[in-house]
Amino acid sequence: MKTIKKYILILLLALIALSLGACTGRRVVATGWSEITLKEDVAYFSYGPQVYALNLKNGTPKWLYPVEPETGVDFYAAPVFADNGTQLIVASYDSNLYSIDPATGREIWSFTNAENRYVAAPLVTDLGIFAPSSDNKLYAVDLNGLPLWEPFETGEPIWASPAWSESCGCIYLTSMDHILYAINPETGSLLWKTEDLGGPIVSKPTVSESGLVIVSTFNNEIVALDEKSHRVEWRFSTSDWAWASPVIDGEQVYISDLSGTFYALDLESGNLLWQLQPGGSIVSTPLIQDGQIYFSTDASSLVVVSTDGVVQRNLPIEGKLYASPASDGDIILLAPSEAEFFLIALNQNGIQIWGYPPAK
Amino acid sequence: MWDAFITLMITVMLFIYDLVGQNFGWAIIIFTVLVRVVTYPLTAKQMKSSKDMQELQGSKKWLDIQKKYKNDKEGLAQKQMEIYKEMGISPFGSCLPLLVQFPVIIGLYQAIIRTLAVTPIQLVNFSKHLSNGADLIPINSQFWWMDLSEPERLTIMGVAVPILAILVVITSFIQTKMITPPGQGTGDAGGQGAQMTKAMSLYMPFFMGYLALTFASGLALYFIATNLATIAQYVLTGQADFKNILPKLPSRS
Repeated sequence: MKTIKKYILILLLALIALSLGACTGRRVVATGWSEITLKEDVAYFSYGPQVYALNLKNGTPKWLYPVEPETGVDFYAAPVFADNGTQLIVASYDSNLYSIDPATGREIWSFTNAENRYVAAPLVTDLGIFAPSSDNKLYAVDLNGLPLWEPFETGEPIWASPAWSESCGCIYLTSMDHILYAINPETGSLLWKTEDLGGPIVSKPTVSESGLVIVSTFNNEIVALDEKSHRVEWRFSTSDWAWASPVIDGEQVYISDLSGTFYALDLESGNLLWQLQPGGSIVSTPLIQDGQIYFSTDASSLVVVSTDGVVQRNLPIEGKLYASPASDGDIILLAPSEAEFFLIALNQNGIQIWGYPPAK
Repeated sequence: MWDAFITLMITVMLFIYDLVGQNFGWAIIIFTVLVRVVTYPLTAKQMKSSKDMQELQGSKKWLDIQKKYKNDKEGLAQKQMEIYKEMGISPFGSCLPLLVQFPVIIGLYQAIIRTLAVTPIQLVNFSKHLSNGADLIPINSQFWWMDLSEPERLTIMGVAVPILAILVVITSFIQTKMITPPGQGTGDAGGQGAQMTKAMSLYMPFFMGYLALTFASGLALYFIATNLATIAQYVLTGQADFKNILPKLPSRS
């Protein structure tokens, strides 16, 4: 009897340890995802403790940063180029912003003023590097990593990259405080802001050539505002939280939600043109290439649709696809989570060319 | 099925969170106490079975057969089963209610951790448990000096002290000691089981303390709340034995 009790106690302890370990962030389990940056036959992306530069043709690593993983340092924001391609800026969960030499993977400088993790990639313009942080602030630094102005503060964490608007010469910033801000990039001062848009916003706003700023919100809604009048031009209700950034293609705008519904709207009116629901949640922005729309779901599929809403292909992919597909025109790259490979390259027929890390 | 259960727990927790002015620390404490109250019938049954078993193991009859069948394990087991039957005690009486409570405890823990979604994938997963409630996002994880989504340290005179982990060890120790009768662990009455109980009462608080030190402090807060609720249950039902903590006190039994 005591032996049974002993085994029950050991079993309970093991179950506690397993149950706790399975759902906390201390193991090497992805807690975010990174978009993929392509430049000159090299794919740059972040995943967990390292940033990778891989040869696009065969997936061989050019460099890894840091060379050996360090405890407490995780990267899930897309690497972005600055200084005419001579710096690669990566934002980290360790609250630091790093500049890396894209040729060698060596650190050039780091900016350490933020007080919480960076989830989204910074915006790089000729005026500086603008990095949104989970400490509610937007930091602006120059190409040497020195602050340009006092951080701009919002009411809640910022998980979305800021967007640049050529027409107003300003930065649009969204925050989980439900508000869209227009900021002067030279001074960091507020130009204007919206009222409460009804729900947290975690994706980058999209600016149309006609002067519409379109944002996806967790209020199950897409909101389009006029850049000049700052008024809401149209609203479109989705079935669930709208996570992904809207993508504009000609007169259409593509949006999605966590129910897994993908929508095509008329850009100027916000009227629904078509919709489809292939299954799984959609958090990634679609890739538009050669008149086809590529979008991924967390139900392990890459869906290819024509611009009039006809599904061309639905490719099963191992893992959950949170990151947007990327392409150099020939190769399509996907960054699955919870999969054997955390970066895979497909040819135009959907056949896998390589996967990283290489299979053992 | 399990996800539906977690969703139910998250819904209740968010209701409490909103009710207490969007304070997640108080939501954890109130929800933990609430779960302890709801599962009290099972706890009471476990406590009763445990007490019956302890009384039996201290009885002359039990000690006699331990001596008599010292070198005959099979005979001892058979005799023990006869005594259980005769006394109307189920040997699993104290284990089964614990096993039933176990999913509730794990569910409560998972509800806490899933609600403290501070990274994108955690938030995507958390959204699947919500029918609405986007206006409560992001969850305010600040509670006193702590960020409940991170391991807790309080800097005192330049030294980072894990206050919650220390409190977890202390409350776990008090709880274990308070509910273990003085006779247990001496080796005579309980034999191997008693040794096990003794080892558990020593190691368990440190195991819990290690978890509190390593994982999100929301979990440590839950451990403390559940330990205090358990101690309160034993005190209120008169089953706590303070003699184990303060040996100079006269024993309850």
